[in-house]
Amino acid sequence: MKIMVDEELIGVESRPVSVKVTAERVRRFTEAIGVPFDGTVPPTFIITMLDIKIPGLELPLEGAIHGEQKFIYHRPLQIGDTITYTTSIKQVYHRQGKLGKMTFVSVETKGYNLAREQVFAGISTVIIPRKGDE
Amino acid sequence: MKKLINYEAGDRIPGRQWVPSALQLRQYAEASGDFNPIHLDDNYARQLGLKGVIAHGMLTMAQLGVMLTEWIGQEGVITRFEVRFEGMVYEKEEITFSGVIREREGNTLICDLEAVNQDGDRVLSGGAQITVSQ
Repeated sequence: MKIMVDEELIGVESRPVSVKVTAERVRRFTEAIGVPFDGTVPPTFIITMLDIKIPGLELPLEGAIHGEQKFIYHRPLQIGDTITYTTSIKQVYHRQGKLGKMTFVSVETKGYNLAREQVFAGISTVIIPRKGDE
Repeated sequence: MKKLINYEAGDRIPGRQWVPSALQLRQYAEASGDFNPIHLDDNYARQLGLKGVIAHGMLTMAQLGVMLTEWIGQEGVITRFEVRFEGMVYEKEEITFSGVIREREGNTLICDLEAVNQDGDRVLSGGAQITVSQ
């Protein structure tokens, strides 16, 4: 398995992408998590709107583990909002664990509204086993 | 019910129980676009050495989010929310979410959060920061 994740990717940023928070998407999310739709946006909803594409970053589907997730909310996200976000690699590091060498990649997403005010930041840490790469 | 403004360090947050079903994992895959077969295909999951399909980490975090939003209602907003995924959550497991106020600084509540399965194994730990509305 070839893994394209290394320290040189730190700071590499995606192009800005705009998405609209629609009632339909939020309703589908609330149904999936099993709560009534009341017009508010659940705190983790936004991650389902993000399509993370950073030049040079290829995360393998198989074996990758979502290790940590963090959100910082600067203002409430509402139905009808248009969010423009960029994603960048914040941290890449390697650790030797019981299961061999693992790579930790932290990806930060920052989302802004049409008034260019920051709405949220999200930081996802993905753990990738480096099989056969010891 | 106790008002959010009256919560102090040491107080427990009303908890939440959750049992993920195969149907819910399918619904969450559709709502989030994460169709990794580890969440959907029992044979695939078993080939990877798991006991069966596992819940998306973000679905588990969403359930913890429901605990927070049901607790705070309209009396406050979440300004930070973070988790570390510590163990697999299998379909049909009984997951218990709980939380405690670690600190109160003015109108900010800092909470420690966790989730355990029916065997008492911790599957997630995390924290949240809540700003109480005036």
